[in-house]
Amino acid sequence: MLKIIIPTIMLMPLTWLSKKNMIWINTTTYSLLISLISLSLLNQPNNNSLNFSLMFFSDPLSAPLLVLTTWLLPLMLMASQHHLSKEPLIRKKLYITMLAMLQTFLIMTFTATELISFYILFEATLVPTLIIITRWGNQTERLNAGLYFLFYTLAGSLPLLVALISIQNLTGSLNFLLIQYWNQALPDSWSNIFLWLACMMAFMVKMPLYGLHLWLPKAHVEAPIAGSMVLAAILLKLGGYGMLRITMMLNPQTNFMAYPFLMLSLWGMIMTSSICLRQTDLKSLIAYSSVSHMALVIVAVLIQTPWSYMGATALMIAHGLTSSMLFCLANSNYERTHSRTMILARGLQTLLPLMAAWWLLASLTNLALPPSINLIGELFVVMSSFSWSNITIILMGANITITALYSLYMLITTQRGKYTHHINSIKPSFTRENALMALHMTPLLLLSLNPKIILGFTY
Amino acid sequence: MNPLILTIILMTVFLGTMIVMASSHWLMIWIGFEMNLLAIIPILMKKYNPRAMEASTKYFLTQATASMLLMMAIIINLMHSGQWTITKVFNPTASIIMTLALAMKLGLTPFHFWVPEVTQGISLTSGLILLTWQKLAPMSILYQISPSINLNILLTMAVLSILVGGWGGLNQTQLRKIMAYSSIAHMGWMAAILVYNPTLTMLNMLIYIMMTLTMFMLFIHSSSTTTLSLSHTWNKAPLITTLILITLLSMGGLPPLSGFMPKWMIIQELTKNSSIILPTLMAIMALLNLYFYMRLTYSTSLTMFPSTNNMKMKWQFETKQITLLPPLIIASSLLLPLTPMLSILD
Repeated sequence: MLKIIIPTIMLMPLTWLSKKNMIWINTTTYSLLISLISLSLLNQPNNNSLNFSLMFFSDPLSAPLLVLTTWLLPLMLMASQHHLSKEPLIRKKLYITMLAMLQTFLIMTFTATELISFYILFEATLVPTLIIITRWGNQTERLNAGLYFLFYTLAGSLPLLVALISIQNLTGSLNFLLIQYWNQALPDSWSNIFLWLACMMAFMVKMPLYGLHLWLPKAHVEAPIAGSMVLAAILLKLGGYGMLRITMMLNPQTNFMAYPFLMLSLWGMIMTSSICLRQTDLKSLIAYSSVSHMALVIVAVLIQTPWSYMGATALMIAHGLTSSMLFCLANSNYERTHSRTMILARGLQTLLPLMAAWWLLASLTNLALPPSINLIGELFVVMSSFSWSNITIILMGANITITALYSLYMLITTQRGKYTHHINSIKPSFTRENALMALHMTPLLLLSLNPKIILGFTY
Repeated sequence: MNPLILTIILMTVFLGTMIVMASSHWLMIWIGFEMNLLAIIPILMKKYNPRAMEASTKYFLTQATASMLLMMAIIINLMHSGQWTITKVFNPTASIIMTLALAMKLGLTPFHFWVPEVTQGISLTSGLILLTWQKLAPMSILYQISPSINLNILLTMAVLSILVGGWGGLNQTQLRKIMAYSSIAHMGWMAAILVYNPTLTMLNMLIYIMMTLTMFMLFIHSSSTTTLSLSHTWNKAPLITTLILITLLSMGGLPPLSGFMPKWMIIQELTKNSSIILPTLMAIMALLNLYFYMRLTYSTSLTMFPSTNNMKMKWQFETKQITLLPPLIIASSLLLPLTPMLSILD
């Protein structure tokens, strides 16, 4: 695992020592090379994990997330080139340093064995993200967004720290490799109910769960493009990953403790999807769409069946790529019109036809068109929730319909129809932007050929 | 002040604390405290204005009262145990009175009222000495009597201090008052773990002193005592803004910076002693502290605060020398990976 971590750490000296005309080239190239190294982890020969050391391991759940993380860094760097082009050199280097630092923490989080180490790195990802959102965001609301982001996550995760330490006192070790074999049923008592809550609330806030999702539209909208990409694609999945790991220790309380959160998620996905239909702000629409997809993941994780775990993992990877691509597309609009309002930049298909093709593909994967992996994820979640309770099929069906509605609404508003008269002088699409979209779409389409890789450890 | 006189006074302050920390006779400890108090008064009054005089008077009155309470506790202990040696205190009354006296010296709630007012009235350097060096002597006595301290009183004072330190700092824009409330909150954390594992109190004290030293040095470098004047540093010395950001996040207890280490260790020790609600409560209340540190970072580092045009010109004054700032920055932000080394203390 050091073969990935040390090069990522060394990206930071690379940026500081690069010349002015080479910073983007150097960092993008080397981060692409690092993502190639991480691809070898996808070779998981058996159902056990690949243990690299006492501190790092990778198993069929964390390997796809790790590959997604390392794949996303060069994409973030490519996407940030335009809005940073006018900044002084030191600030560009600071920005890239923040991204590299965030990447290091994320890689270590996804591969940590010890749960306290996972916690520290989970919290550590907050600091660079906060700095990226607050320092390089564009509107005044970014200050409030940073505060909401930081405090929602911290207030949820401090009880997790206490819970992890008390579990360590009870069982003697928090090493994940040991715990999966030591597992005993958690006795039924009030304090264990609070233990369950303390363990799960941090990840519920991060996912986010419907009632605690207030930080997400703010943070996603106010962040610069790299911030939005990493937030949507990876940081939300930290919550899902944490939940998948920690629910293993929390049986049998999950059988009855999960009900309120299942209700909130099932209702919340309909609510947030419906809000998407009424949004005027493009990034806000994509942010609420993220909440809706993540609500599906919460439902899947709390049901705890093998199929639902497969669906959750596939949905996390698929949503990561799709959401990040949608944010890149929205950013390409923003860079041209400096406004996030959808109707101000409509009818783009006549002006930028290739970008319209990427918009089409992104919207189609967002609404889970077969045979994309989005469909596989959603379908598995719908099937397993139907087997858990027959009535959920109504809510799931409604959600899929509304998801299709708002995805097509977004596509039609931005791409079809007559273009507004004030945007006929926008710049054509850059090769960088087209490359960015292609690099998002290609893994998504290729994975639909072999989705076994992303189906997680219950395959 | 005449350098020779300043040297003598600072040496007396130093000697007072050393006498407190090194003595085994209770009377010598009281003498050490008094020596420390009398010598620090001219330091507090370095700027000769009425505000500084008021601050020094308040400090003198509270500390003298605390010393007298300490003396009373010593005498009661003498009456019941017949000895002047420092070990644990043998009588519960004496123990309670001594704990209250030392809490008054440290600035724990409900004896915290003097800390913001005194810190505000004095210059930055004197405030630095007040909030770091002056905490060493009372804390060392608390460490030595820790087996006999009444747990209920100490924990109540600790939790209330964390609350007061968090809430009181929310409405402040003056940097010295912010540091004072931060000091109250950190003293609360230190007091909470004192009975269970005094070594962690010392660890927290060490890291707190390093972080406070760093903050004060950065404030002295930019000669700023209000949030508004601190927000001009991005014009003059942009690197200072980054260092302020890192140190403030560390004081707020965010991983992966070293300010997280004492909080983590304290939560671990408290949990091992079967108290779960208390560390959860303390950790949540530390978020209040984080809020006003974040507000400070927002105006200083994370935004380019609007300023008038004449603030943007750089005056070529001779650069101030900041003693030991780089090692302090490293110590106050990057020590977290060294946490496994704490096992050598077993």
